[in-house]
Amino acid sequence: MNEAVRQFTDHDLALARKGDAQALTALVLAHQRSVYSLALRMLGTRDLAEDLAQDVFMQLNRNLKSIESRQHLAFWLRKVTAFRAIDQLRQRARLATTSFDEDKHLEGDSHAHPYSDAGLSDPLLQRHLKLLLEELSPPARAVVLLRYQEDLDPVDIARTLEMPINTVKSHLKRSLEIMRQKTPGARLSRGEDESI
Amino acid sequence: MSQDDLEFQLRAALRPIAPSASFEKKLIACVTNDPRRAQPMAKRLGGAGWHSRTRWLSLAAAACLLVGVGLQGRMQLRRERENGLEARRQVVEALRVTSQKLDLAYEIVKSQSSSFADDNPGA
Repeated sequence: MNEAVRQFTDHDLALARKGDAQALTALVLAHQRSVYSLALRMLGTRDLAEDLAQDVFMQLNRNLKSIESRQHLAFWLRKVTAFRAIDQLRQRARLATTSFDEDKHLEGDSHAHPYSDAGLSDPLLQRHLKLLLEELSPPARAVVLLRYQEDLDPVDIARTLEMPINTVKSHLKRSLEIMRQKTPGARLSRGEDESI
Repeated sequence: MSQDDLEFQLRAALRPIAPSASFEKKLIACVTNDPRRAQPMAKRLGGAGWHSRTRWLSLAAAACLLVGVGLQGRMQLRRERENGLEARRQVVEALRVTSQKLDLAYEIVKSQSSSFADDNPGA
């Protein structure tokens, strides 16, 4: 959870519902990373992601009265973003590649990478994994993103995407299997998937 | 590489990205200035802004236009109906006059032929 999300309180949400500009700004700052990243990795290009993120926040703005809590707010944003992205992906056969837009973007990302200091991250492998993510079906991609980007557990993913829990688990298992098969040197024993 | 390592790398690869500063600015401006945002009732009725006032004005203008067009159409229909009735009346009158003239002509022809027969009994 980033600092902006932590700083956004229930009081801010109440003010945002009344149309307070400062509270609305805090709301956008708290959730824009999550919404934008989800949109970018689902749709693949920066322009489409920005359009979708803007539409989602505008839709939220008009439905703020129905938002009951901060948890509900995060749930609503993830759900609407994921569903709208899946709809867009279904409407078109194939999108331009994601990684170039995203990698360009990462260069200018001033936020500290939580793993970079530990010296454990592997940029090449991560790039490869992002490319593999593009090959997944839209629902599977959404499941993987909610699991590894948003850090939701399978129960919450099932609620967000209105999917049976077993479907979520099977998407996760199959997606990791695909990534494992297509990643050189990332061979795992089958029993290790049980941790999902 | 273990399952944990793969998941670790996935998490690292998929960490949230901040959008560009220009987009952030644009987004905040859009959200805070959205005229369609649900507003409190008092604000909607009393302190209505320029957008809602112009919306009401355009709605009123559209309604007036619709009523005007409707009335004009109705008057036009009425005029056409009156013209049709007048034309029918004239046709009926013309038929009546024609019928009278034909009757008259028939009477004349008939009276002439009977007087001719009286004058020429052998014919």
